[in-house]
Amino acid sequence: MKKVLLVLFAVLIAVFVIAEPEYVIEDYNGVPGGTLYLGTTSGPKTLNPYWAQETSSTDIIGWYSDSLFNADNKGMPNVPALASKWWFSEDGKTVYFQIRKGLQWSDGEPFTVDDVYFTFTKVALAEGMTANGPSGAKDANDQLPVVEIVDDYTISFTWTVPNVWGFKWVGYSDILPKHVLEEAVDNGTFSETWTVADMDKIVGMGPFLPVEYTEGVRVILERNPYYYRFDKNGNRLPYLDKIVYLIVPDLNTELLKFEAGEIDIYGPTAENFPRIAEQAEEKGWVVGVGGPALGSNFIAFNWVTKDPVKREWFRNEHFRKAFVYMLDRQSIIDTLYNGLGSPLYGPVSPSSGFYNPEVEKFGYKYSIVRARLELKKAGFSWREDGTCVDKDGNPVEFELTTNVGNNVREAIGNKVVDAAKKLGIKVNFTPMQFNSLVQKLLGPDYEAVIIGLTGSVDPGSGWNVWRLDGGLHFWNYSPELRPDTVPEDIWWSPDWEKRIDEIFRLQTSAVDPQERYNLFAEFQMICAEHQPLIYTMNQNYLYAHKKIIHLANPEPNPAAGTLWKGYAIWKEAE
Amino acid sequence: MLKYILRRLILAVPVLLGVSVLSFFIISLAPGDFLDYYRLNPSISAEQVHTLEKQFGFDKPFVVQYFKWLGQVLKGNFGYSFVYHIPVFDLVWRRLGATLLLSISTMIFTWGIAIPLGIYSALHQYSISDQAFSFFAFIGISIPNFFFALLWLFMAAKTGWFPIGGIISLNYDDLSFWGKIGDYLWHVVGPVITLGTSGLAGLMRQMRGQLLDQLRQDYVLFARAKGMPEKNVIYKHALRNAINPIVTMFGYSLSGLLGGAVLTETVFGWPGMGRLVIEALTSQDLFLVMATLLLSSLLLITGNLIADMLLAWVDPRIRFRLR
Repeated sequence: MKKVLLVLFAVLIAVFVIAEPEYVIEDYNGVPGGTLYLGTTSGPKTLNPYWAQETSSTDIIGWYSDSLFNADNKGMPNVPALASKWWFSEDGKTVYFQIRKGLQWSDGEPFTVDDVYFTFTKVALAEGMTANGPSGAKDANDQLPVVEIVDDYTISFTWTVPNVWGFKWVGYSDILPKHVLEEAVDNGTFSETWTVADMDKIVGMGPFLPVEYTEGVRVILERNPYYYRFDKNGNRLPYLDKIVYLIVPDLNTELLKFEAGEIDIYGPTAENFPRIAEQAEEKGWVVGVGGPALGSNFIAFNWVTKDPVKREWFRNEHFRKAFVYMLDRQSIIDTLYNGLGSPLYGPVSPSSGFYNPEVEKFGYKYSIVRARLELKKAGFSWREDGTCVDKDGNPVEFELTTNVGNNVREAIGNKVVDAAKKLGIKVNFTPMQFNSLVQKLLGPDYEAVIIGLTGSVDPGSGWNVWRLDGGLHFWNYSPELRPDTVPEDIWWSPDWEKRIDEIFRLQTSAVDPQERYNLFAEFQMICAEHQPLIYTMNQNYLYAHKKIIHLANPEPNPAAGTLWKGYAIWKEAE
Repeated sequence: MLKYILRRLILAVPVLLGVSVLSFFIISLAPGDFLDYYRLNPSISAEQVHTLEKQFGFDKPFVVQYFKWLGQVLKGNFGYSFVYHIPVFDLVWRRLGATLLLSISTMIFTWGIAIPLGIYSALHQYSISDQAFSFFAFIGISIPNFFFALLWLFMAAKTGWFPIGGIISLNYDDLSFWGKIGDYLWHVVGPVITLGTSGLAGLMRQMRGQLLDQLRQDYVLFARAKGMPEKNVIYKHALRNAINPIVTMFGYSLSGLLGGAVLTETVFGWPGMGRLVIEALTSQDLFLVMATLLLSSLLLITGNLIADMLLAWVDPRIRFRLR
């Protein structure tokens, strides 16, 4: 009797102390096993999630690392991951995350709220511990959140005002294992930890773990035996046993490898997409076209350039609109993208859930006549010989630059030069080396530039570009930011630009998604109307894969590609 | 002899120092620095860039940066790569094997074919075979490497005779020891032929010209008149003199062993130093660039030394003395 009681007691303790693991059941019906072969142009540089910069590194990190929540296939932060749920406090200033119970790291150690606390207090929000810095988590008052452990499974982040952007930043941050990294963090060697040299030391919560990296040859990942997702048939995910990335620096070679069947999923360039599509039927491939990419190239005129005459032109929105009409976007799309792209007239891509279709009502399109009309509105006229002159009789001529080697930007530049010539405007287009360009952009020397920035689904990621005091507000730097190059007396900002600044401050505290959507809709309308930056075009997302590969994403797109929910990708036996 | 080598090695120190000064300051003349990519990243604030500038030491003048680096180097620390966050020589070691395998194979291929062919061509001047060898050698030199590489890969993809780039097969780990060597040889053929054919013509013409020069000398005429067997005239006397400048060339080519061949490596996906160096240059990964520059200077110096020693060995007229 005593024995039975004892056993009962032990069972009771076990039930209370070791709570039932909160696994996720996914609605997939795949077959486990197999190896997925992928190509990449370059190997990872570092596997440290807080120091990696290039996609070649973050692609690999994405497999082993996990965050509190993930993005759905529209790029919205809706998919619970390490946190099972999250909610805001009444005043919206605090966000609570409840983490899953009973999960384990890939080395079998328990995953606890201490890991989350450690990640944010010691690394992500700490000064000098990460490459990107903690600025993304700051609220409208420039304050970082206060992190508190509420109970064994709940952690809270409190700002001085509601901070939606900070909430997303926290939710998408990679959670680190305290038991593995605490020592490196404490003795200041964190940035030199989890480099390509210590592949075997990595511990994560993601579906796959890197096990081998042969420099410049391949990266091998194996399934995490403790992964916390199961399919509806009770199979522990991921389905695949292994993922092998072959490092193929040359795109033509990668194409040959895909055609030879050595690579399973391939991202064709617009140039070779027709060739792939042609063979698809015969070779048993699935090919597809997603929406236009999220980042984009644009033309920026420097409102604070040295020459006061040119400053006057560039600040005139009709002058800028003339260039919106001047650029024949479709012909560039046809020649460079094989027609697989879309023109863009505002800062948000149509692939984003925040896209406001109203911007199309402005009816921008290629038209030299309309361009001439805009120039007339701006007060420009033409001499007998066709030279365009401003109201004081100065002939219109300016410098345009971009970085050497980017064929899309160079094509845009050449198109602008040709079109401007038709209107009697002389554009001196001289591409330069990337580093020289960056140095120039940070000073008062440049007049106009064609450049692109990485984009994301949420326009809030552009805070550093659109806020008046933003470090990348390079068409109209504030004198506070660059006192030595932008004197107070030459600086000028129209009301609508101040409104954009306000929108980017307000959006961080808009806890209601609809309110945020409306703010960004207004932002896009302002940009479309006044054209501070002249957006050009985007290439569509292109993909091809073998039929025997079953993707988890029904519609791959720029916000969620072919590898979205990679844990549910499965492969039929060949 | 030993003293001579020692002296040469001691003299190498100021040379390397000079190379380091020049390289460091030429790099400093290039606009921008490693953080330029960070400066154009919308999610990195200006303050963060300043923090990183301090962390990487970019806020100091270049002279200070140089002496800081030199001080570390004297302690044996060549610095960390900004991109990889690991010591630069660890990075170089990771790539060294593949580079040496390829460059040594190419060297054996080029020299092994060019020297005999050059000799043969010289001895059969203006014959059909001489013309034919020159013809093919010049085709090799005139096709750009990257294009030849693409043609090769296209052929490999169509026929399946050779792998489509890379250095090892997918099943490499399961192969036996000899299987692994065979697998490697199978992969190296393409890059070696691509790289080898471009160097072949020059070397072959050089060998041919040198030997022809010697064959016209008076001593050859004398030896022949004396009735010396033709074999002895050519291989014991003329060739021995003709090989002299070729040995010097060999010494120089040693310095190219680590340089890698960027375009060929890129097309074939060969994990060599060439791509590492180019990526380091474009991202301005300062210490990595410095390390590779110093390493190839060191190789150039050793290559020269080896060439001089080989010269003494093949040419009895040359003797080293300490003056």
